[in-house]
Amino acid sequence: MKFLRNTLDKIKPHVQKGGKFQKFRSTFDAFETFLYVPDHVTKSGSHIRDGIDLKRAMSVVVIALMPALLFGMWNVGYQHFLAIGQTAGFCELFWYGFLQVLPIIIVSYVVGLGVEFIFAQIRGHEVNEGFLVSGMLIPMIMPVDTPLWMVAVATIFAVIIGKEVFGGTGMNIFNPALLARAFIFFAYPSKISGDFVWVSGLSDSTTKVVDGFSGATPMGLAGQGQFDKIPDFWTMFIGNIPGSIGETSKIAILIGAAILIISGIGSFRIMLSTILGGSAMIYIFNLFAANPYMEISPLVQLSMGGFLFGAVFMATDPVSASQTSTGKIIYGFLIGMIAMLIRVLNPAYPEGMMLAILMMNMFAPLIDYYVVEANIKRRLKRAKLSSIKS
Amino acid sequence: MELFNMFIKSIFIDNMIFAFFLGMCSFLAVSKTVKTSLGLGVAVIFVLLITAPFNWVIYHYLLKAGALVWIDASFADVDLSYLSFLVFIASIAAIVQLVEMVVERFSPPLYNALGIFLPLIAVNCVILAVALFVQEKEDQSLMGLSALEVTIYAVGSGLGWFLAIVSMAAIREKIKYSNVPAPLRGLGITFILTGLMAIAFMGLMGIKL
Repeated sequence: MKFLRNTLDKIKPHVQKGGKFQKFRSTFDAFETFLYVPDHVTKSGSHIRDGIDLKRAMSVVVIALMPALLFGMWNVGYQHFLAIGQTAGFCELFWYGFLQVLPIIIVSYVVGLGVEFIFAQIRGHEVNEGFLVSGMLIPMIMPVDTPLWMVAVATIFAVIIGKEVFGGTGMNIFNPALLARAFIFFAYPSKISGDFVWVSGLSDSTTKVVDGFSGATPMGLAGQGQFDKIPDFWTMFIGNIPGSIGETSKIAILIGAAILIISGIGSFRIMLSTILGGSAMIYIFNLFAANPYMEISPLVQLSMGGFLFGAVFMATDPVSASQTSTGKIIYGFLIGMIAMLIRVLNPAYPEGMMLAILMMNMFAPLIDYYVVEANIKRRLKRAKLSSIKS
Repeated sequence: MELFNMFIKSIFIDNMIFAFFLGMCSFLAVSKTVKTSLGLGVAVIFVLLITAPFNWVIYHYLLKAGALVWIDASFADVDLSYLSFLVFIASIAAIVQLVEMVVERFSPPLYNALGIFLPLIAVNCVILAVALFVQEKEDQSLMGLSALEVTIYAVGSGLGWFLAIVSMAAIREKIKYSNVPAPLRGLGITFILTGLMAIAFMGLMGIKL
């Protein structure tokens, strides 16, 4: 059949793109594939729909964090100039905040990546991108006045005890960024709670603060029982309130959430079920209404503190969260409920999101285990039923 | 409501593992797979359910200062509470043996499910700790505890321990596939995990129900 092949090969250049008889290409193709086995080969793994790797996933999360970070920088400046009673232009505000926040980011990255490099050297594995997101998250969940050495110590603790002892990126049980915060929270409680750490320059006694400026976060005000002083919903939603660097603006966080969901990196199941769980708990509190804290409406309660930031960026950490779809829903729902429970019922901690997520990180493997077990059981049952029928 | 508070408090807030670090030996040794730790956890709840009320009865009616009044009024100043350690340990060991025999005779499936764990539990410190905590609570309260309160406290403590060991087992099953540094494999990483889990549990400490 050499003759047939030769004829086809002779015609082929004419009917291909740019050839004289371009429009007959499909007809030619049909005949060619009818006569001969087509020589097309797959150029990538046939099962791979999208070659996403760790680097792209991490970069997308960092991009999603940008709106909250930029707003946080502006807000740091805004709160500072509000505290000292001066007015300043947009650029001046942003520049001030930029100068305050940048050192924390640099310290977190340099220290964290340094530890990663040392471990990679000693253990002989590659340095991977695992710290990119943690290194950005750690500054964003710190108060702006946290001393730099403390950020460094917390980062070292989180990277070594939280991640490297389990074998590095992808093996950790707890979210490293949250561990860093929890470390400071329990080791140096005065530096991460109270009214003076959330606004830049307020903890320095030489700064002159205008009368009537307290620097307390909405969570702090609620914890002290000053419910009438809590800002209204829109102020908290836009975010010009004191708080950790990244957590204040709910709009910026929602933009980040949209980026995460559209790119498929963050699990919308976890985000949604966390918010639902929180709202469910608030509704239960509203029903009881035993004290003024329980009477706060869901919208206001959800926009206070770091709840939304935690739900969008911390709970969705693909490593420490539940892995199964059903598990994710249970996991998120419980995070929301526990966070509200700690926030309202525990006078020792003004905000419960950090510890709620850490606690559910701990139970996530158990949830997964039982979701998988239930799956196996259901399928075995189905298999038995079908074998009986046949 | 008071009883419900006590129940929740004994599970989460006064958790035997993460607040008191009691019962660590079996917590570390048996938490390799979820299945076995489930068996041990259930066995602990079961034994607590029986021993704690029993020890409370002994303490309440025999050992406590002035407890012997029900025999004769002249015993009002007799205080045998220094015997509590001895008596509690002896009674726990005896009861565990008895329970084992009874369960073997009347419920072989349960016996098979609990298996080796029943006799092991005789030396689990959680059991003795609950008896001693009950003693402490009894001394602190004016009226003394009721049998129902003791039972609920015992079951709550057992459930807290159960929850801790099962979640630990699930985590350990997961990190089986992790590249843990060689010197830390096994017990080392388990200790670190316990510490981290205790940090996570600190969120609940101080909750006022």
